[in-house]
Amino acid sequence: MYAFLTGPMFYLSLAVFFIGLAVRVILYIRGLDWKLDRVAYRAHPKAGLKGALRSIGYWLVPFGTRSWRVQPFMTVIFFVFHIGAVIVPLFLLAHNMILKEKFGFSFFTLNPTLADVLTWGVLISAILLVLRRIALPEVRILTTGYDYFILAISVAPFVTGLICRYHVGDYSAWLLVHIAAGELLLILAPFTKLSHIVLYFMSRGQLGMDFGIKRGGMNGKPISW
Amino acid sequence: MPEGTLCNKQPIDTDEQLKALLGDKGGKVYYEEMKLLEVDQEKLQDTIRKTMKSRIKTWLKICAHCGMCADSCFLYRINDCDPKQVPAYKVQSTLGEMVRKKGRVDNAFMHMAMETAWAKCTCCNRCAMYCPHGIDMGVMVGYMRGLLYQQGFVPWEMKIGAGMHRVYRAQMDVTPEEFVDTFQWMVEEYEEEYAGLTVPVDKEGADIMYTVNAREVKHYPEDLAEAAILFTIAGEDWTIPSSGWELTSLAMFAGDWEACRMQVESVYDAMERLKPKRMIGTECGHAHRATVIEGPYWAGRPDGKPPVESIHYVEWVAEALRTGKLKIDPEKRIKKPVTLQDSCNYIRNHGLKEITREIMSYMVEPGYFFDMAPNKEHNYCCGGGGGFNGIGLYRPQRNKALITKRDQILGTGADLVIAPCHNCWDAIRDLEEEYEIGISWSFLKPLLIDMVIVPEHMKPEE
Amino acid sequence: MFNKILFATSATEACDHAARVAFAMAEKYNAHLEIFHVLGLPTRAYSQVVIEVKTRERIEIDEGYCDWVKEEVRMYYERFLEKLGDRYAIEVAIGVTHREILRTARNTNPDLIVMGGSTHHLEDSAYRQLITGSTFQRVSGAAHCPVLVVTRPAASFWGGFSKIVVGTDFSESADAAVDYGIKLARSLDCELSLFHAVDISGLAMGQVMIQDDIEEKLRVARKKMRYRYLPKLEGFTDYSIDAWEGIPYMEIVKYTREKQADLVIMAHHARRFEEKKDARMGSNLEQVIVRAGCPVLSINRTVGRQVDAEK
Ligand code: HEM
Ligand code: SF4
Ligand code: SF4
Repeated sequence: MYAFLTGPMFYLSLAVFFIGLAVRVILYIRGLDWKLDRVAYRAHPKAGLKGALRSIGYWLVPFGTRSWRVQPFMTVIFFVFHIGAVIVPLFLLAHNMILKEKFGFSFFTLNPTLADVLTWGVLISAILLVLRRIALPEVRILTTGYDYFILAISVAPFVTGLICRYHVGDYSAWLLVHIAAGELLLILAPFTKLSHIVLYFMSRGQLGMDFGIKRGGMNGKPISW
Repeated sequence: MPEGTLCNKQPIDTDEQLKALLGDKGGKVYYEEMKLLEVDQEKLQDTIRKTMKSRIKTWLKICAHCGMCADSCFLYRINDCDPKQVPAYKVQSTLGEMVRKKGRVDNAFMHMAMETAWAKCTCCNRCAMYCPHGIDMGVMVGYMRGLLYQQGFVPWEMKIGAGMHRVYRAQMDVTPEEFVDTFQWMVEEYEEEYAGLTVPVDKEGADIMYTVNAREVKHYPEDLAEAAILFTIAGEDWTIPSSGWELTSLAMFAGDWEACRMQVESVYDAMERLKPKRMIGTECGHAHRATVIEGPYWAGRPDGKPPVESIHYVEWVAEALRTGKLKIDPEKRIKKPVTLQDSCNYIRNHGLKEITREIMSYMVEPGYFFDMAPNKEHNYCCGGGGGFNGIGLYRPQRNKALITKRDQILGTGADLVIAPCHNCWDAIRDLEEEYEIGISWSFLKPLLIDMVIVPEHMKPEE
Repeated sequence: MFNKILFATSATEACDHAARVAFAMAEKYNAHLEIFHVLGLPTRAYSQVVIEVKTRERIEIDEGYCDWVKEEVRMYYERFLEKLGDRYAIEVAIGVTHREILRTARNTNPDLIVMGGSTHHLEDSAYRQLITGSTFQRVSGAAHCPVLVVTRPAASFWGGFSKIVVGTDFSESADAAVDYGIKLARSLDCELSLFHAVDISGLAMGQVMIQDDIEEKLRVARKKMRYRYLPKLEGFTDYSIDAWEGIPYMEIVKYTREKQADLVIMAHHARRFEEKKDARMGSNLEQVIVRAGCPVLSINRTVGRQVDAEK
């Protein structure tokens, strides 16, 4: 089992993840229609690029936009969740060892304490995200089972990872579950809302181009997000 | 397939049809017929398939259901934070459902969608600035209006408005002759006071081609005179086109994209015909949006620009004041508390926030200008945008929506609200009528007329 | 002189005095009378709803409604209409009052517009600033024919013009008003009084004008009037020329009363845009209108120029 999950399944999930998301990006771009979207993407590449980068950039900075500033609670849990969710899988020492072994390269590695903090952060903020969904009527009305499912598969690798980290219960069994959860996340990402990992950049970029090209970006001071 | 005689899927293309629909007082028969109107599910699905591309598809799909857009919507806030007014909910429960059900929706659903599209969203695009994913619910509601229009589920006044554009290439039944005649009449009326006042019609190669809102022609022709006076004082070489003079587009509010194209092409034709250096439109927000911002796309212009450089009236005013073409008598600057209404359509959606404030710095005595909060691209809709002002069926909702602006204005302590946008102006007028807070409101033109220095050669003899 | 009269009315009590004059004139001078009523302005941007000027209700406009209003107007004036035979028409329009009156006047070219008193309380508060100044100011400032205003009840006891007072301040339009007055007096066979008031109201702030100075001014004014207007009065005998001192509008009102005149003619020469600014004070003309015991006819520059051209 371990061999299967760390062998073929490992490669398969990575392939599905990367190819799947790449296809998402390609389909997205191909599906842009300057006439229907009413944005002259091609005619003004410079203004478009500037708009896109501003739009993506400001929103990646905590409290970088008015929206982030007026909803500080959400901003904190969102960024704690996402910084952990993106950084920990990539830079965890254990993950890098696997990378080295499988592909012969590795990234720099996280200080273990920091990794712990980030992972707990993911967990706690995920719980807060759930509570927020339940507590706030304006979020509750939007929430569907699917949202909880996405949250669940997102945090599953972190929860199981922590269990392994603290050697709770049967380490090797939990390790299997952890790997499976991680691979499930990778495989499902392109097919679910998790595709926002790349589509966020597309969607934000598109709106940025819209404002950058058509809605005033070439007309005085650019929009302040 | 049952279709009403008044309420149906056919756009209005003749004057007789227009008259028939107008004759139906308040749309009584029209709305009765709508209750029986069948949904052409195949056509709906087919249209969605053909026109819904990755942008909107992705928006619908990746919406995190996080509710961060909720507070951004003035309609959500003013309706006691009713969760059903959350932008994401409004779209997910209507357009989202249509898509998920592959167009298999019924009459009752379409009625609900119609109310959502025209009474719960003014397409102000404010929510787009608050969604982390960059999802613009205003754009999606606009898109949905197109679907609803195609199926015949559109408020009575919107159907009439779109029909007016189809028949008259204007939002009201004003013919080219009436337009030119009214303009000339106004100039005659004022030439006694402003020597040398004229209105050049169809002059080729002028620096400025001026376009207006048909309501000015019909009800407030003084506005035309004021435009002529200011252009003349500024020494501009200007003209009006005898056809293609209507800047506005109720068809855009209605979601009648074909009529949008027809309307805007009439203006572009005038540009091609008269070859002016620039087009300047009157003080109207949605009109600027329709003709200058969205119009090029309806007309299929790949660069997204009208045939000649086109600017909003505020851009011209700022330029004229900056360069000294118009000079303000410092004595006559406004010396009472003033605030400024930022029109969504050219502030949030066309970046003119600094320019309008520059104008204020010339017109208002320092210390008397008070900005609303929030302002500029974060300002709230006046409460009557997107067609809301005009729809009888949704009048109570509209009146409630005005409270947002009322309280914003009260918050500034201003006596005078400068609203260089017809829609905002109407909404503010209505809010004064409804809530009587004792403010006055104005376009820029009459205020400017009161304070600009008239050059000697234009002063009346005597 | 009066073949076609446009009577702009709210068809309410506010216009009753004006109505009596308008109908009596039409009857007496065999004129065609167009009775014109403006319904109000659509309240919603492009909707069909207007606030009725008359009832202040929100109503939806359609043809049926317009017909109904016409019928209402007809009923309201029924007893007058009988006497006119078919020499009248009733028209109803939607829009801003002064603008629609001017629009219809432009199309039908009447010889005279008759209006009622201030309908200010009837005008919707929200439109008040739109119609800065009164509807009357706007109409009389821009019309291409004289505008007759009747505001006070006393003014309506009227049986045809017999004594006319023209107030002059020697301006171009005032001269035109005099010309018009002479023309009217000649053609209707009236007694004519030309009047000038020396304005001493500017001295209110504790200053006093020496009586000799005042009298000198009065002398000059009378002389000036003779010099200017006598040649025009050739062949006409039934006239008088006077100058008094005081606050001009008060003096005109007093003079009119003393002369038992039944018509005052004055120039409307305030510039429209300036007028807006002290609309509260109002011009001499407006002050006379609200105080005079008889109808007031106003002549603006445009009309003055036409009178000139005819000579
Ligand atoms: C660079 C990559 C990523 C970006 C830019 C990004 C961005 C976003 C944005 C803008 C939202 C919606 C805003 C919100 O909920 O307030 C969101 C929501 C979410 N993201 Fe990501 N994300 C990224 C990666 C990830 C990854 C790797 C995961 C999972 C491990 C993830 C899981 C989630 C979940 C579960 C939500 C929904 C949160 C909720 O319940 O409200 N994201 N993300
Ligand atoms: S803020 Fe954006 S992602 Fe969140 S619910 Fe609203 S539309 Fe959806
Ligand atoms: S576009 Fe404006 S009115 Fe419509 S949902 Fe968004 S914020 Fe609300």
